[in-house]
Amino acid sequence: MRNALKYVLSASIGLVVAAGSHAAEPLKLRMMAPIYVDGKGAGIRQPEGVSCRGNALVVADTGNGRLLRYAIAGDSWTPGGEIVLPQLPFPIRVDVNSKGDIFALDGKSRRIGRVAPSGEFLGYVAPAGDVQGAVVPRSFRIDRDDNLYLLDVYSARVLVMDPAGKIQREIPFPKEYGFFSDLAVDAGGNILLLDSVRKRVSRVAKNSPDVAPLSESLTGEVHFPTAIATDKQGTIFLVDQNGSGIVILGPDGSFRGRRLSMGWKDGFLRHPAAMCISDNGPVFIADRGNNRVEAFLITE
Amino acid sequence: MMLRTKTSLVLLAIVSTMAVSLSYSQDKFRLKPGAKGKVCLTCHEAFKEKLKLPFLHTPVKAGDCSDCHNPHTSSHGKLLSSSVNRICFSCHEGIVPGKTRSAHKVAVEGNCVKCHDPHAAKNKNNLLLAGNELCSGCHQRLAKEMAGNKFKHSPVEKGCLNCHTPHASAKTLSLLKNDVPGICVTCHRPDAPAFGKQHMGYPVAKSNCSSCHDPHGSGSRGILWGKPHQPVANKMCNQCHLDPSSPDALKTRKAGYELCRGCHNAQMNEILGRNRIHWPVVDKTSCQNCHNPHASRESGLLKEPQLPLCGECHGDTIERLDKSLVKHKPVQEGNCTKCHMPHSSNNVFLLDNTTPINLCGTCHDWQKHSSHPIGEKVADKRNRNLAMDCSSCHDPHGSEHKRFTHYDIKMELCVQCHEQYKR
Repeated sequence: MRNALKYVLSASIGLVVAAGSHAAEPLKLRMMAPIYVDGKGAGIRQPEGVSCRGNALVVADTGNGRLLRYAIAGDSWTPGGEIVLPQLPFPIRVDVNSKGDIFALDGKSRRIGRVAPSGEFLGYVAPAGDVQGAVVPRSFRIDRDDNLYLLDVYSARVLVMDPAGKIQREIPFPKEYGFFSDLAVDAGGNILLLDSVRKRVSRVAKNSPDVAPLSESLTGEVHFPTAIATDKQGTIFLVDQNGSGIVILGPDGSFRGRRLSMGWKDGFLRHPAAMCISDNGPVFIADRGNNRVEAFLITE
Repeated sequence: MMLRTKTSLVLLAIVSTMAVSLSYSQDKFRLKPGAKGKVCLTCHEAFKEKLKLPFLHTPVKAGDCSDCHNPHTSSHGKLLSSSVNRICFSCHEGIVPGKTRSAHKVAVEGNCVKCHDPHAAKNKNNLLLAGNELCSGCHQRLAKEMAGNKFKHSPVEKGCLNCHTPHASAKTLSLLKNDVPGICVTCHRPDAPAFGKQHMGYPVAKSNCSSCHDPHGSGSRGILWGKPHQPVANKMCNQCHLDPSSPDALKTRKAGYELCRGCHNAQMNEILGRNRIHWPVVDKTSCQNCHNPHASRESGLLKEPQLPLCGECHGDTIERLDKSLVKHKPVQEGNCTKCHMPHSSNNVFLLDNTTPINLCGTCHDWQKHSSHPIGEKVADKRNRNLAMDCSSCHDPHGSEHKRFTHYDIKMELCVQCHEQYKR
């Protein structure tokens, strides 16, 4: 009898502790719907890039060598056509500026192309002025003021360009790093750099020339993160490619939790490649290994 | 008066306690007079032979068996008074200092008995074997290579401890007594005319000697690593570096992959022309992320064998492989390039084939004629955009299940799709 009582008591304590820790978890990702096809019903293949700004969702449908557009309306979206360009045969990263121009990094040529909302190719992004060394972009991001942040792995730096392409800042990588795969710009204009090898996020404060570690090494929490995104509140999301999940960090880089897991069915991920957070609605994840984009709602 | 008496009593009690504990620590098992060092031998007779060896561990010499063993009971094997991996540190505390640049794994793990006999030995420091023979016991590959070397490095022949320290090194990597080139220039004087001539006049006095030379000896003259880069073997350093007379002579003529492109142009064009690049190829360090531009023991001038080399960045994958219950042969053998193209590919994961079915089929050809239905025309029931292929059920890097399936093959795997059979 005493043993039974002990068991019930310890089980109750366990449940309370578990419930408490669950309640302390900050954010959840609630599955909305997957996007499997374009407007004509043709399947998406190995998407590696996704961008959402205003009511525009752009997907780099990498395996099919095209860009797909969707219009977001609240919690739903409608297909808006495809863009196929010989100048961008293998898009791997995308972003959109305030005018609706689409920027896409081509994995084959390793150049960033600019595309008008009409689908017309406007040319490759080239830094204006005196830039030392070759430029090989691994990733890029456009901020609210249409400045372009370019992660240049060849010359080991971040280049910040104004909308005209003029270099505003050149931030060298720190002395010690593994490999920077992606960057994000938070609402305050701070740059976040994702080191996939050291599993760490670094930060460049607005107008600072230095890259400083933000998070500790996340070994044990993340397998091989390859993309980073941040929301208005400064919460950081890491796309864990090899771990098939999303890792959430606080604005100070502290580990907040891990969401989603490996699988084929809706709501699961297989080697995801990128993530974007729309202004007022869902987040979209380029679920590369599952040939789809998945939409989730962030809930408390 | 009363207070003084009380104080005296307290002091007396303290002194008595100290005296008792001192005598206890000196002879905590209250052995009979003259029994110390002899009482254990009444049963452990064979140990008497051991005591005749020339080098005795200090407690053994003093007959203090109970320094390490508890004669009555113990929670540890051989009645040791603490864990076999910790007991040596109770006296030899600083053998592996807190902050080191390199440490010998056995020392860190407290596996002292791998090298030392805790009681007595024929060799100094109670070593189990003398000289290089001891080190060769674990470092077998190196020992084998050294034995076959045509050109020997004389300090190595004289003993590993000429250059290495056995436990830990606070300042250097690879347990070296001094950093490279510091340790090399103690014998090979850079100001000697022959040194300059051998190095084509390049100012290499402060360079990393082991970038070109195998310190353990080699089959090549000048103890160059077994597989030297052709320009190095031909003493054509200026093919990549500036002229030796220039102020910055060791600087390369071009940066990154552009330098290698000078000779390997066709290969570079092929690499850069594919859809997916292995990103380190185009970063600042470029080819040198994986290749040693001077010489290597590995084919393809790789800096290390593939598994540790790829693992430098893809440690998570290697860790997963280690935990995997069943190993995939190419993975187990560290042959990453059996399936992956290391520079670039048109396929996802830099695979060396357009589809997993074709790739796996290069070894497992039976799956092309007798297997679960797979191929472009066989839809994966879990996902409308996927067709069934080998990776639908198997994780090629391994898993915790038999045949490295994603799920348990008896209860979970098949019902992922065939849900009607789920129990």
